[in-house]
Parts: sequence; structure tokens; C-alpha cells
Amino acid sequence: MAYRLSLSRMDELLEKMRESYTIYAPMRFEKRGRYSDTDLVRYDKIRSVRDIVYDEKSHFSPKEVIHPITQALFHFTEFEYRESEVDERPVLVFVRPCDIHGIQRLDTMFLENGDAADPYYKRLRDKVKFVLMECGKGWDTCFCVSMGTNRTEDYSLAVRFAGEELLLEVKDPSFRPLFASEKTADFRPEFVSANRLTVRLPEIKSRDVLEKVHALPLWESYDTRCLSCGACTAACVSCSCFTTSDVAYSENGRSGDRRRVWASCLHKDFTVMAGGHGFRKTPGERMRFRTLHKVYDFRARFGGADMCVGCGRCTDRCPQLISFAATLNRLSGEVDRLNAEAAAATGVSV
Amino acid sequence: MNHDIDIKKLQVNCFRQSKVPGEFMLQMRAPGGVVQAKYLAVVQHIADTWGNGQLHLGMRQTFSIPGIKYENIEAVNEYLRGYIEEVEVASCDVNMDVNEGGYPTIGARNVMACIGNSHCIKANIDTLSLARKMEKLVFPSHYHIKMSIAGCPNDCAKATFNDFGIVGIAKMEYDYDRCIACERCVETCASHATRVLSLENGKIVKDVCCCVGCAECATVCPTGAWTRRPTKFYRVLIGGRSGKQYPRAGKIFLNWVTEEVLLAVIGNWQAFSAEVLNHQPRYLHGGHLIDMAGYEKFKEWILKGVKLNPEAEVAERLYWTETEYRSNIHVKPVCGVD
Ligand code: SF4
Ligand code: SF4
Ligand code: SF4
Ligand code: SF4
Ligand code: SF4
Repeated sequence: MAYRLSLSRMDELLEKMRESYTIYAPMRFEKRGRYSDTDLVRYDKIRSVRDIVYDEKSHFSPKEVIHPITQALFHFTEFEYRESEVDERPVLVFVRPCDIHGIQRLDTMFLENGDAADPYYKRLRDKVKFVLMECGKGWDTCFCVSMGTNRTEDYSLAVRFAGEELLLEVKDPSFRPLFASEKTADFRPEFVSANRLTVRLPEIKSRDVLEKVHALPLWESYDTRCLSCGACTAACVSCSCFTTSDVAYSENGRSGDRRRVWASCLHKDFTVMAGGHGFRKTPGERMRFRTLHKVYDFRARFGGADMCVGCGRCTDRCPQLISFAATLNRLSGEVDRLNAEAAAATGVSV
Repeated sequence: MNHDIDIKKLQVNCFRQSKVPGEFMLQMRAPGGVVQAKYLAVVQHIADTWGNGQLHLGMRQTFSIPGIKYENIEAVNEYLRGYIEEVEVASCDVNMDVNEGGYPTIGARNVMACIGNSHCIKANIDTLSLARKMEKLVFPSHYHIKMSIAGCPNDCAKATFNDFGIVGIAKMEYDYDRCIACERCVETCASHATRVLSLENGKIVKDVCCCVGCAECATVCPTGAWTRRPTKFYRVLIGGRSGKQYPRAGKIFLNWVTEEVLLAVIGNWQAFSAEVLNHQPRYLHGGHLIDMAGYEKFKEWILKGVKLNPEAEVAERLYWTETEYRSNIHVKPVCGVD
């Protein structure tokens, strides 16, 4: 079923929804952007539909809701510990199609990687339902179509904002009673079918080509361009890395928290072990790792889709104006060449 | 040529005497160092028609047009009318009669500014709109004042060498939960600013004593854990100057004042100058004026009726450090001496 609602009517219903749900959406934080007099658009709890920034892509992704930047796992004293608690209420999050795919990638990482599901991810993830926001035309850094993440059916509600009104599709039957007396409409969300950007994905067909990809001079160009700041991974909906550490908050160091905090493969200490040895020493090597993780390793391990969902936030946030789409296209061009060389060497056509 | 020209009068009219008798250089104000590029045509017209075809980019961000002959000044002034109307009245809302007489005074010098946050990634404030507000406060007054506005403590605008140097600063706010302990802010504060940040227990602590409010930390933070408080803050330096005798860098007079306070302070400049100069405007560096009055009296007059914001800090006293060009006892001849 679908409905047409004025924003003020929607706010009344939202108020009712807020009795049982915590509702997150991209919100504007005025003048809180990286540069002076720019705004920050990121997820937070909304009170009104008017709080939702729907006509701009958020700078940070909705993963913050399910995979918080800082999360206490448990609190300990000398002889005992107590697990941290989370709000029991279910959660509604306003997201884009690519975000829903991105969160599915996180599901793979946290729930299907190895034998045990991550309980701290699961306890939040199980509470979450999605409200799909239509993208309209999308934005100039998006490449969801290339990644096959432009469409989804995995949502409870879908919304199109239209000035003082909105159109809402209610898919999840549990929400139907709430809208029972509203004016119905003929509405199904539309999905972006073409982006301004097209990204070609590398087809790495052999171990030998993979090794040659590792040695490409292309990566070195990022040694001077990339700051290793991790702004890209912080904005990325599908990046899942974190570090776990114990924080003592008593003088004797015997009581404290175990917490997890996001980490980034772009940071120079990401692979540093005790003794100071690290695997990826240069920004270019770290860029290579990230890129291949996003469009090769993940698929090689889990099959199916790539980890990157083409949201383009990494490009939007990179202070050095490094476009991930351009990086991927550059890589794909090189891989084509390597594949052709390999084929010529073995006499097999590709 | 036989000239009989009132040089002083022309200087007040913004025409500077040349070494060539009877020639002058026009200084056109450009508050905040910005005008629409279309005015270059006006500048070119003046330079080609009445000047010697050259444009000097004035040290105080004026368009300076040399080689204007005395007998053409009237024509130049008439032609300037549109520029003054648009740049002073329309853009800065300056309260003045614009007529065919050109600039009414040179007293308050062109308000300088760096490009600020309309462009610069380091900036904390909109320097141009502030410069325009300042222009409205000080022009057209005969009392001399030199002012420059820097968008951030990098001070590309050399605020430190002006009577009043204004620097845009930001109160930083830290979101504990958003911080991922990457230490980008720690490294950046150490290399670009004041080393006030450190990592403790996986999060950042700050020695608030010495944060200069540059916001480098916000610029580099990957998660938006550091952000600027939306209210703009300003540091005000006073008494900076260059010159033949004893140049000196300005000293901090006010720190963390809001725009409202800043405008009120600059609004008091004319009354302060009139008091010290006995209501006789004459050319004297603002710094010398402050010296004449003494810091205590300056402070009293310039803060008259000003309601300071809670964050504001005011210098209790000032310790000037001048470069004494006149003593120079440390400079000795090294050639031809055995
Ligand atoms: S790598 Fe970039 S484009 Fe891909 S999902 Fe992450 S932020 Fe989006
Ligand atoms: S955001 Fe840009 S500069 Fe920073 S780590 Fe990512 S690619 Fe490098
Ligand atoms: S003073 Fe600061 S804001 Fe102004 S140009 Fe220099 S760096 Fe940019
Ligand atoms: S730059 Fe930001 S995320 Fe990194 S340590 Fe500083 S506050 Fe934390
Ligand atoms: S604003 Fe303060 S803490 Fe931040 S970099 Fe500048 S001096 Fe350091």
C-alpha cells in the first residue's frame, strides 16, 4: 500500500512511531563541516520529517547506527565484568538503496565471516528496519549502477519527498495499522537507472595477474597524493574495520571498559605489530589494499557481490580529491592490459 | 612647469604626490581586497586615459594608478563617482554623499583582508563581509586607522602589522564518541599550531590553555569529531606597524570576542582618536595614538559601552617589543676593519 501525506501529517504519525521506534536519518549540522561555513550531514535521531536531509547525499553513512564509531563491549573490575547494554527499542533508519546493499556487506563481514556471528553487531542489526529514500537523479560521485546496487526490495517503508508532501510505500505489514486512515496513492519508489559515472571493474583472472596488479606503478602515484587520513573509510558504508582495546579508568588500572573503535586500513599504523613491523608502509600500498579489498578480495572470499556499493562517499570526503571511481577505472585499464599480455603469452584468447 | 598645488588637500582626496612635479597617484579603495572583476575596466580606463598606463597593486590592496597629471584630477574624480557609489555605498553601505569630488578622505585606510572562507580551506571567517562592515564603521572618517583581517591565525593578511589586526578563530568542540584515535589532529596541531592535543586512553585530551583556535584539527579529522562552534570568534591585535623608527608586531588586545563585540570596539575608534587628538584629525599611526594615550586609557575608551561576551579575554597590560632602528647597537661593520 502507498499513501500521500502532508509533512505535518507525517510528523503526527512519526510522533506515534517514535513511541516504539528510535528513528535515525541524515540530518544537517549547520556550520559543522570540515571547512568554515560548510554544513555536516550525518545520521542522528530525528524528531520531525523536516529534519531529514533528503536532497543531499549524507557525508557519513548510516552504518554508524549499527556499527557505532565507539562502542563499549563490557565493563570490568578486578574480578568481574558486565556486558554493555543497548537500547532495547527497535530502530528505523532512512537510507539509500546503495546503503541497504552496504549494510548487507557489513552483515556478511560481521555475521557470516568465520563460525560465530559477532554478537555486538547482531544485537543492533536485529533491531533495524529500513526506510528507503528515493535518490532522484543521484549525485555526480555515485556509481551504484556499475556496482549493481541501485535497486533493492529490502525495506519496510519507502519515501519520496515532494515539497510539502511525501509519498510513502508501506511494505512491512506491521506499519499498516498506523496508516490505515490515510489517503492512498499510487506509488512505488523509482531507482536510478544510470549514473553520470560509469565504473569498470577489474577482472583479475589468475594469481599471476594478481601479483602483477600488486606491482603496478599506478599505486605509487598515491604515495604523494594520499594523506593516509582515512576520511574515505570513515565515510564508507561497507568498511567494517575496528580495533578493540581496554581502557582503564581507575588509578590502579583494574577497572575499565573494553571497547571497539573504528579503524582504517589507510592509517599507517593499521598493520603495525608489536616490535614496530608493518606490512604496508606506503600510502600507495595501503591504497592498493583498500581498492582490492573493495573490488576483489571480498568477492574472492565470499562470492557474489563486491564490497564496494558505489555510494561515492569516499570520493566526496577525500580532502585530496582522489576519486575512487577514477582509481577503479585506472586499475581496470591496467588489468585489461595484463590479461591481454597473459593471454598472448599462453596463446589463449580472452 | 610652474605649479601651485595644495598637496595636502590632494592627499586627503586620495591622490599621492609623485616625484615628478604635478603628477599624482590615485589610490582607489577596495575594502577587503575584493571588487567585481568588471571594475578592472574602470581602472584601465583611468590608467589609459589620465595615468601613464600602469596599475600598481597597492600595498594596502588599493588600485593605485600613477602618472595622473594635476589638471586631469577633476575629470578623474568625476569618472570615479560610479565606482565609489557601487563599491562604498552599495557594497559596504557606507554612509556618505557621493559627488563629483572623488574620495572625501584618506583618513581611515583601505580595510585589508585575506580571501577568507569564501575560498580558503584554512579560514574560519568570511573576511570580505567583515571588511565591508568595518569599512562602514571607519569610512569616511578623517581619523587614521589601518586595519587588516585574516581568516585564520596563519595571518596571510599581516594583521600583526596593523593598528588593528583582526584574526578569525574558532572554538573547537570535540565529540568523544566520534573519535577513532587516529591522531591526525594531534600531529597536525603539533606541526601547524600549538601542540595542545594528545591521546590518552584512546581519546583526545586538550590543554585548553594554548589552543589558538585555528581549526586545523577540524580540517583533518576524518570522522568530524572536531568541529567549529558555529559562532564566529575573533582575536584582535593592536599597535602593529612598520616604519623607519621603531616598527613592531602587534600584541593581542582581545581574544575570543564575538562579532558584536568587535564591531562595538571598532565603532569606538573615532571617539578614542578624537579624545586623544583633541578633535584634530592628523596623520598618526594608530599604534602611536595608543602609545600617546597609554594602554589603560586606550582600553577604557575603546571598551566604553562594550558588553563583552562570556568567552572574551582582554589584555591586562601590554609589553611592547619594538625593533629600535635608531640604536642598532648590535649591527657592526665587518669589512675593512682589522
Ligand atoms: S568504497 Fe567508496 S564508493 Fe565504495 S562503498 Fe565505500 S565509500 Fe562507497
Ligand atoms: S580520504 Fe583521500 S587522502 Fe584520505 S586516506 Fe582516503 S584516499 Fe587518502
Ligand atoms: S590567513 Fe588563513 S584564511 Fe586567510 S588566506 Fe591565509 S590561510 Fe587562508
Ligand atoms: S583527528 Fe579526529 S578521529 Fe583522529 S584522533 Fe583527532 S579527533 Fe580523533
Ligand atoms: S584549533 Fe587548537 S587544538 Fe585545534 S589545531 Fe588549532 S591550536 Fe590545535
